[in-house]
Amino acid sequence: MVLDRERNLLQRLEFVRFYARWVKSVPNEVWSEQQAVIINSMVKNARNFMMSVEEYLELKNRKERLKQSRSL
Amino acid sequence: MELEFKGNEIIMRGKTITELDKFVFNFIELLDIDYVVSGYVAILFGRSRGTEDIDVLIEPITYNKFKELYERTVKRGYYFLNSDRPNNLYEMLEERSAVRIAKEDTIIPNIELKFTKNEFDKFSIQNRLKVVVNGEQVYISPIEIQIAYKLYLGSDKDVEDKC
Repeated sequence: MVLDRERNLLQRLEFVRFYARWVKSVPNEVWSEQQAVIINSMVKNARNFMMSVEEYLELKNRKERLKQSRSL
Repeated sequence: MELEFKGNEIIMRGKTITELDKFVFNFIELLDIDYVVSGYVAILFGRSRGTEDIDVLIEPITYNKFKELYERTVKRGYYFLNSDRPNNLYEMLEERSAVRIAKEDTIIPNIELKFTKNEFDKFSIQNRLKVVVNGEQVYISPIEIQIAYKLYLGSDKDVEDKC
């Protein structure tokens, strides 16, 4: 299980580095057009977000508390 | 990627502006104080991922100044998720908690507004970088600070952003 997680992370990092090399090698118009498709879809999809404001804030607070307890 | 560097300024031309970019640019227009945007920076420079929240760091301001910002923000169609009372929001900021701001009838994306709380935050504002994207300007914290912070946080996403 741990090995899978590490292997997955290494594979993702390899892809991120590959992608970063590609971004650096093409004009801004090219990478940003593709990026816009993903980001705009995410923003559009967020309009269907099902949580209430209270539930969302509770989730975020829980995440923050977890982060703080890990950093102690 | 084509970037032009001029002292503390980075100029990017020809970027397709995303809905997230517009959200950030429109919000920071409301700020009449020094600020830095962080977190979103990896995305601004090409990382292809979404984000729920955009961190915006400001120096502590007086209650009156905050109330003005609150009124300006609400007038422009935003709301504060944590409370609709500026005094409660200000108390949260003073306790160094973040307050979240989104466009009316939405939750995501949102701005996570915070007061500076340590030397790193102050350094970020004092040494901020100006990024000009197709004529729109946004101030970001120094890249070195961002990388160090991402490594400190250490989640998979943060390590990927650092790359």
